[in-house]
Amino acid sequence: MDKKILIVEDDVVFCKLLTRFLRKNGFEVMDAQSGKDALELVNLNKFELAVLDYRLPDMTGIEILKEVKRKNPKSKIILITRYGDQDVASKAIDSGADAFISKPINPDELLQVILGFE
Amino acid sequence: MKLSISKNVHLVEPGDFEPTDHWYPRVLNSNIHPLVAYFLNLSHDQMVERYHRLHPSSDADAIMGILKYQPKYFRWAGTDLMHVTNHEGNRRLTVIETNSCPSGQKSMPLLDLNVEQGGYRRLIEETFKPLVNSVQEEGSLAVIYDKNPMENIGYAATIADIFGENVLLAKFEKNDQDPPAKFVENKLFIRNEKEEWTPIRAAFRYVTQEPWTRIPKNSKTLLLNPIEACLAGGRNKEVASRSYDVFNQQFRDKGIRIFTPDTYRNVSFQELPEYFEKLGGSMVIKVPDSNAGQGVYTVISENELAEAMNKVNENDVYLVQQLIHSNYSKGLDPEKAWYHVGTIPDNKGRSFAFDLRLMMHATASGIRPLAVYSRRSRFPLNQPLPENMNSWEVYGTNLSIKGEDGWTYADERLMLFDIRNFGQLGLGIDELIKGFVQSAMAVYAIDQNAIKTFGDIQSNL
Repeated sequence: MDKKILIVEDDVVFCKLLTRFLRKNGFEVMDAQSGKDALELVNLNKFELAVLDYRLPDMTGIEILKEVKRKNPKSKIILITRYGDQDVASKAIDSGADAFISKPINPDELLQVILGFE
Repeated sequence: MKLSISKNVHLVEPGDFEPTDHWYPRVLNSNIHPLVAYFLNLSHDQMVERYHRLHPSSDADAIMGILKYQPKYFRWAGTDLMHVTNHEGNRRLTVIETNSCPSGQKSMPLLDLNVEQGGYRRLIEETFKPLVNSVQEEGSLAVIYDKNPMENIGYAATIADIFGENVLLAKFEKNDQDPPAKFVENKLFIRNEKEEWTPIRAAFRYVTQEPWTRIPKNSKTLLLNPIEACLAGGRNKEVASRSYDVFNQQFRDKGIRIFTPDTYRNVSFQELPEYFEKLGGSMVIKVPDSNAGQGVYTVISENELAEAMNKVNENDVYLVQQLIHSNYSKGLDPEKAWYHVGTIPDNKGRSFAFDLRLMMHATASGIRPLAVYSRRSRFPLNQPLPENMNSWEVYGTNLSIKGEDGWTYADERLMLFDIRNFGQLGLGIDELIKGFVQSAMAVYAIDQNAIKTFGDIQSNL
C-alpha cells in the first residue's frame, strides 16, 4: 500500500491519532487543521485519498473536495459529518464524495472503508 | 478509541495505549542511565541518610517528615531546578519554578523495560487510583486538558487500562466559547456522543491556562490536581515565593531551607529600573502566573530592560529575581552571586546552561520522584554573546515552540537522562537527591499554603 492520504480536521488530537494509525497501516499520510493549510498541501501534492471534515474553521470540506478532485480526478474522498447530518451527507455525495462517515470515528472502521476502495 | 464523539471529545478505551503515541521518538529508542535508575529506586531512608551526611547541620527527622508527607491538595508536581555554583565551588540545586500540571512523561526513558506504560502507570496506579477509589461520586472517568495531547492521551489510555473502563478525553480551553466540559454545582460534566452531559466522578486535570477561570474550588468531582493546588502556588510564582518564605522561617532551626535566587515580590512596572540598578545591572523579570517560558525576561543591559518593559503591562506587578550568571567574574559580589555549572564542555569547548524538570507524585509511602529530564539553552555560557543577541539565548532553557501541539519541540536541546545524554550534564546521585529534597520541600510549602488558605481536607490515603 503506497497510497498518499490527506486528513483535514481542526482537532489536532483527531488528526495526529488518525495519521499515526494510518501510517502504521502502511499509508503515507499528511494532515492539516484548517482549510487554508489543506489547500496548500493539495497544491504541492497528489493525493489518492482524502479524509475531510465537513466543518472547518475557515471553509467546508466540500471546497477542499473540489480542489482535490480538480488536481486528481481519480482521488477518492471520504467526508466526515456529524452524527445524523443527512443534509450534509447528501450534499457531499452530490459534490463527488465517494463515501461519508459520521462521527464518532472508529479508526478500524475507517480503515475498512479505505481498503474497500482498493 | 472513538474519535470525536462530540466536538473536542474522544473516547479512549482499554487497550488503546500505544507507546509511539506517548513518547518522543528519541525516547522510545533510549535506555535510562543506570545512575538515574538507581536514584529512582532509592528508599526515603537512603536519601535522608545521604542528604544528612552531606548536610550535617540539617535535621534528618525534619527531612524524613517532608519526604513522607501526604499532601492534601498538591499530589502531583513538577519543579524546574538549576544546577548552580559560587566562587567557592559550592554547588547547589536551586528551585526556579513549581508546576501543578507538569509535563515530563514523554521525555522519560522507561525505568523498567517490562512495564510498557512506564511513569504513566506509576502515577495513575499509585496516586490517582487510590484517590478515585476513595470517593463516593457517581459518573465516568475523564482527562481534561488544554495542552500536551501526547501525554494526556497516554494518561487517558493508562486510566482506561487500569480501571478497565472507557475514559472521556476532553479539551477544555480558555477561549472556547462552547467548551465540551462544564462544572454544575461544582461537579464536572462532559458532552457525550448524544450531545448530552455525562457526569464525571474523577478527572485527571492538565488544564494550565488560567485554569481558575473554569475550574471551581471544592470540586465534587475528584481532580488530580484540584484547582486549590494552582491557587496556593502551583501556578503562581508570587504565591509560591511567599509559601517558600513561610517554610524557610518554619524550618530555620532545622537546618533546611528552600533555595531560590534572591526574590523580590510585587515590584511595580515603574520600580523595574531601580531593581535593575540594585541587582548590579542584571535580573530576571517574571509575570507571576506565566508558564512554559512565556512572560519571563532575562535582562543584562539597559537595552534589554527597555525591551522587556515594552513587552509587559505597566499596570501589573512583577516578580524580580537575581540572575543566575553565565560565568564567574570578579566584579560579582562573592557572597551573593551564583552562576551556572553548565553542561560538560563538548568537543568544541561549549558549555550550556540547563535546567532539570523533576516530576513527583504522592504515594502511600510519601513523595516519590517519577520522571526527570533536562533542557539546555541555545547559546553557550562560555562564549561572548554576539551583539544584538538576546540574553535569553544563553539563559533560557524552555523547549516550547509557539503553537506547540505536543508534537513539535526543540528536540536538539532536550537532554534525556539516558545512557547517551546524562553524562553530559555533570550530575551525580547526590545532586539528584539534593534536587529531589528541594522539590519535595517546595511541594510541602505550597500544600501547607493551600491548607492554610482553603482549609484541611481529609487525606484520601
